[in-house]
Parts: sequence; structure tokens; C-alpha cells
Amino acid sequence: MTTLLSLQAVTGGYGDANILHAVSMTVSDREIVVIVGPNGAGKSTAMKAVFGLLNVRGGSIRFDGDDITGWVPNKIVQRGICYVPQVDNIFREMTIHENLEMGAFLRKGDLSAAFDRVYTLFPDLKERRKTPAGSLSGGQRQMVAMGRALMLDPKLLLLDEPTAGLSPKYMEQIFQICRDVRGTGVAILLVEQHAKQALEFADRGYVLAAGQNRHEGTGANLLADREVAEMFLGG
Amino acid sequence: MELYGLLNYALFMGVFIGIYALLALGLNIQWGFAGLFNAGIAGFFAVGAYTSAILTSAAAEGRIGGFELPVIVGWFGAMGAAALIAWPIGKICLRFRSDYLAIATIGIAEIIRLVIKSEAELTNSARGITGLPRPFGDLDYMASQAAYLGIVLVVLAIAYVLVERQFNAPWGRMMRAIRDNEDAARAMGKNIEYRRLEAFIFGAALMGLGGALFAHFNRSITPEAIDPMVATFLVWIMLILGGSGNNRGAILGAAVVWIIWSVSEIATDQLPHEYAVKAKYIRLFLIGLLLQLVLRFRPEGILPEPLRGDLRHTKEGNRS
Amino acid sequence: MDFLELVNFYIIPGLVIGSIYALGAVGITLVFAILRYAHLAHGDLATLGAFLALAVVTGFGISPLAALPIAILGTAAVAVGIDKVFYEHLRERPKIVTVMASLGIALMVRAVVQVIWGVDSESYVKGIVRPDVYFGLRIRDREIYTVIAMIALVGVLQVFLTQSKWGKAMRAMSDNPNLALLSGIDNKKVVMLTWIIAGGLCAAAGVFLGINTELKSMMGWNMLLPMFAAAILGGVGRVEGAVLGGLIVGVAEELSVLVLPSEYKAATAFAILLFMLLVRPTGLLRGKVL
Repeated sequence: MTTLLSLQAVTGGYGDANILHAVSMTVSDREIVVIVGPNGAGKSTAMKAVFGLLNVRGGSIRFDGDDITGWVPNKIVQRGICYVPQVDNIFREMTIHENLEMGAFLRKGDLSAAFDRVYTLFPDLKERRKTPAGSLSGGQRQMVAMGRALMLDPKLLLLDEPTAGLSPKYMEQIFQICRDVRGTGVAILLVEQHAKQALEFADRGYVLAAGQNRHEGTGANLLADREVAEMFLGG
Repeated sequence: MELYGLLNYALFMGVFIGIYALLALGLNIQWGFAGLFNAGIAGFFAVGAYTSAILTSAAAEGRIGGFELPVIVGWFGAMGAAALIAWPIGKICLRFRSDYLAIATIGIAEIIRLVIKSEAELTNSARGITGLPRPFGDLDYMASQAAYLGIVLVVLAIAYVLVERQFNAPWGRMMRAIRDNEDAARAMGKNIEYRRLEAFIFGAALMGLGGALFAHFNRSITPEAIDPMVATFLVWIMLILGGSGNNRGAILGAAVVWIIWSVSEIATDQLPHEYAVKAKYIRLFLIGLLLQLVLRFRPEGILPEPLRGDLRHTKEGNRS
Repeated sequence: MDFLELVNFYIIPGLVIGSIYALGAVGITLVFAILRYAHLAHGDLATLGAFLALAVVTGFGISPLAALPIAILGTAAVAVGIDKVFYEHLRERPKIVTVMASLGIALMVRAVVQVIWGVDSESYVKGIVRPDVYFGLRIRDREIYTVIAMIALVGVLQVFLTQSKWGKAMRAMSDNPNLALLSGIDNKKVVMLTWIIAGGLCAAAGVFLGINTELKSMMGWNMLLPMFAAAILGGVGRVEGAVLGGLIVGVAEELSVLVLPSEYKAATAFAILLFMLLVRPTGLLRGKVL
């Protein structure tokens, strides 16, 4: 497997203060990687650094052969990374279909293949394509948000706490969808609060604390690590 | 004779600067410290002017009023009436972003204008209320002008000291906290709407007082005495140019803008009539342009808001 | 008063002036929803549009309706220009600063009209137009044109907003600006489109007000409050709401004469505005509350 994304000793934050201190991580092709850690560990911040939403003051971010450090989000989207924020991640007053269309805004030409792909992944959405997205349940909204991001055919999908506020049943469903998405050739980097479930499902994981790398490894290894367990898995 | 005329003009200008400075101070409470957009300054000004006129003038046929109360009662009445008008408007609009207040104050100023024009038994309509008493009005012309300027300056000084003290008190700190970070202030349990309402009412009261001072200086008040849009806008540019958030800036701005405004009027009045009329609108255009330039190139004004203890802290906090 | 009288003297004039308010209110609601500030120069842009049409009418001797497209294009261009020169650099500052700037722009635009065209009342055509009678309804041709033109212009706008890529981008920007930017929607183009549409509709409002009444330098400023009342009554961000709001405000103003002295006609819009802010700030059609 080739490395798709790599962060090397990334330091940065919003404004002048640094939240991340020399954070490093990699994501390979078609890999599902999860970032876990206690509140305020800089998990979402690390993800935003990839997407150009942070002032990166040290280190570098490389994606698919390019140094993308300091790129603006617009350019990063076109390069093949799509980002799903944790909240406010849909256009509430637009229909599901229009949400997807906006996701493909930068794409020229025929979109039918992209629509087919998303609707195949999310058959529920196809049935309700004319429904305003704001009227959907939390889990379905998350699907719209992911669908919107997939419309540009990214190589890497960034998901910020996709299961926040969802019932265990929906959480399982979102994880299953992530596997399906990976099956279509997309790597996924996600931030999760539900550390235990996420580590069971992901290929690899990073544990961040206080803006620094603390542990890394396969999901199973991390779950077995006593220190990790004591830190925040509740023993 | 030449000197006499110049002195007279200077006194005249001094009184107007003092009155506009009061309006600018009032706006500074609302905008500079609470971030509230009042686009109906002339309305509160007019309410103050008419209230004091009704309370202090001699009785007249066909309209209520003529209570012949002391002038000082008229002035407090003016403040009270302006505050009373501000209260319901603030109560309704301050829950929302200041845009709504801007629209509503444009509306209230318009309604006040309509009332003044059409309620003859209250305001004597177009003829206005005349024969208002003026403190020291019995002196010689020049002495009386000078005495009135003295009164205006004393009132302005009192208002300045009170407002300045209030800004440095915990109340002022709280207002700035709310203006600069509404969410944090709310999280700290501040009653934001109530504080804003206070600021809006205090500011309106000062504007009402400005109106009263104006009416007694002229010994009369008529619907045509001020152009509402121009007056409101002049006060805005005074505050923004002088430095919003800074009371001294508000007063300085009033002086600078009023001098520019009235000197340019004298200059353009020398033009032949057909050009003089156009020149008035060109001056309006330029004063609008001045606002755009200040907003763009010197948004903090001539005298920026002083870095009070609490503010120094939050400003640095914001940057980090 | 019988029913026909009510319709002839209150409802029909109310719907006509309401259609004019609607044209302005649609622009206000779009600017409010997409750029997120109250644009106080909106009325004076309508004045400018009306006088641009007057220049075309007197210059080329054509009818005001034929001059309308030119006035729309001219005013749209001015609106885009004002945004580029005066509003664009304030975008990172608190929105209320732009509201203040727009108050200054209102004064500037009006001053330009007053310098070029003076302050006296003007009209497109001289003479009194008597209404035609259809089944007892007294309607003037120009009143029919006004309502039809409003429906046509708003209809075209609705098709644009719901069917075209850039129309949807405008709705997306109104709905969730951060996500719109993350999706790669070009904010600058959306802003420009918004001003083209808002400016064009302003001109239409001004021209139709001029056709139905007369042209004065304060005509637009006097429409500002009813237009904002209409936008908020309908629900900020709702195009169809702005139309509904405009018609209601227009008819309410005419009917107010039955209960209030006619001097206070202009107070109706203000009463509606405060009432809506008090009981239902989202408006009739659940718009945004900023």
C-alpha cells in the first residue's frame, strides 16, 4: 500500500496559539484511520490542518505526491480531499439531490455517474432525493453530508465525528457505510469520540493527547494497550 | 463691527458644536459601547425639543401645553420623553442583531416626523412652537449668546463626566464585554438584553436633551428646523471620525465635522443661486464619501478607543 | 361602502403598490440572506433606477416600459460597482459596519440624483390616465403592467434559483455559507450575482413607482421601511415570502386609511414590522433571523 497522506511534525493552531505540537501521521491508499483521544486533544484540529483550515507554522503535509501545506481549501478539494464537518454539514433547505449537486459544484460535465455511485451507497437517499435535507433524521443527515463530499470523487475523505449524537444502531450503520465507501477506492481519516467502537472498526488508529502523538498502531493493538485503556477507554 | 460679527458667529458655532457633541456622546453610549445602531437620532432629538417646548412655553390657543414650567424641568422632561420612546423600540428589537434596530429606528424617526407634522394640538404643526424661554435671554444679545454657550458647555461637561465615569465603572466593563464577545458574556450569565436596553435608553435621553438645548437656543422649534436624514448622518460621521468608544473623540468629532460642515456652507452660499442649490447636495455626497473613507482607512477614528484595563486584556486574548 | 368600492379604491391600489414593494423586498431579502446585512441604500438605488429610466425616456422618446431594461442593467451595474468599491473591503469586519456604510451610500446615491435631476417632481408621461372599467373593476393599464411585470420578474428569478447551477449556489450560500465555501462555491461570483439581481429589481421597483405615481428624489427612501417590513413579514431569505409580504404591506397601507388619519399611512409598515418582530420574527414563511 502506498502512502496517500502524511503529516510530518505539524505544529499550528488558530490565530497565534499552537494547538498541535509536532503531530505526525499517515494514511495509505484505501485505508481507514481513526484519530481518538480525550476532549481537547486536538483531534479535529489535526483534521482541519489537513484541509487548510489552520495556520500551520511548522512541519509539512503531503498528499499524493504534492506538498499541500498552506493550500486553501478550494484547491485541496480539487486535489482530491473532501471534508465533512461535524456540525452544520448539510444545506438544510435544499433537497438531498441539490445537496449532492452542490458537492459536485467544481465538477464539469455529466454528473450522472457520480450520482449513481452515491445513490448506490445510500439507497435510502435515492428514494427521498426531493426531500429537504433539514427534515431528515440525524443519521440520514450524516449520509447526505458524506454523499455530498463523495460527489467530487475524492481519494481521501475526512470525517469529523460522524457518529456524534447518533444512536448505537446508526453508529454501526455509519461504520458500515465507511467500509462500503472504502470499497469504492476511497481512504478515510476520521475523528471519533466513541474510541472503543472506532478502534475495533478502523484499520489503524492514532491516540492524541494535548496536541501531541501519544500512541499509534492497529486498532486491535491499541485496544490491547493498557495505558491506552486506562487513559480514556474507562479501563 | 467685523470682529463683532466674527465673535457672534463663533458663539453660534460653539453652541451648535456643544449640542451636536451631546448627540455624539449619546450615540457613543449606544454604538461605541454597546454596538447598537441608531439610525433615528433626529427622532429622539425632535422628541426632546418638542417635549421641552410644550412644558415650558406660554399657553396658546388650540394646543395643549403652555405649562410655563421652569426650563430645567423641560430639559429633564425632554430626556424622559426620549427615553420613554426608546424603551419599547429597544425592548422589541434588542433581542436581534443590530440590523433590525437600524431599520426600526429609521421607522420611529419617520413616525415622529409624521406626528409632529400632523398633530396640531400637540405641536402646532408646521408653524411650530415659538416664544420659548431662554435662560439669561433678557441680557444683551451678545451676553445672552455667551451665557447660553456657557450653559451648553456646562451641560456637556456634566454629561461627559457622568458618561466617562459610567464607562470606567463595572457597568462599562460589562458593556464592552458584551459588545466584544456576546457569547462569552452570555455564558457568564450577563443579562445582555437588559444591559443593551439601558445603553439604548441612556443614549436616547442624551439625544433628547440635545434637542431641548437646541429648541431653547432658537426660542422656537418647527418641523423644518432640522433635516432628519442630514442631522442623523452628521452625528454618525462625527462619532466615527472622532473615534467611537472614546468620549473625547465624540466631542472632537462634533467640533471637526460641524466646522467643516458650516464653513463649507458659507463657502457654497457665495456661489450663484443655481450652483448653490447643487452645491448643497454635493456637500451631502462628500460627507457620505467621508464616512466611507473613514470606515476604510481609519476605522478607529482620530482618537481611538482608549485601552482600558479590561479591554487591553480581551484584545490580546482575541489575537491569540 | 360596498364590496366593489373596497376593491376599487383600496385593494387594487394596494396590490399595485404592494407589487412595487415586493420587487424591492425580494432584493432586500436576498442581500439579507446571502450577504447577511440590512442594505439601507436599497430605496435610493430604486430612485436611481427610476431616474435612469427617465433619462432614457426623455433622451430617446421611448415609453418607460421600453426604458425598463436599460434602467435595470444600469442600476445592476451601479450596485455591483458600489459593492466592489465600498462594501467588499468591509466583508471581514462586523456586518453592522456595512449597514452603516450603506446608510452613507443611501445619502450619496440620493445626492447624485438630486444634483443631476434636481429635487422637483417629474413624471414619465404628462396627463391624467383614466382607469378602464372591467366588470365594475376600475383598473388602469399601467396597474396591470406593474403586477404582471412583478410576477414575471419574480417568476424568472425563482426558475433561476431553483433550476440553474449558480442559482442553487446562491441558495447554498444563504443556507450554509461555510459548507458552500468547503464545496468550492466561488463566493465572489455569488455576491456579484446577488447584486446584479438586487440592483435590477430595485430599478424595476423604482420605474414602476414612477409609472404609477411620480418621480421624486425621496421616493426610494420612503419605500425603504415598507420594503423591509415586507421582507421580514415574509421571512428573511424567502423570495416568495417577500412577494407575499410586499402585497400584504401594500394592501394594509391602503386599508389603514379606513381606521387611521391618512397622514399615518406610512406608519402601517412600521407597525407590521414591530408586530412581526414581537410575535414571529421568522416571518410567515419561516425565514432566517439574524
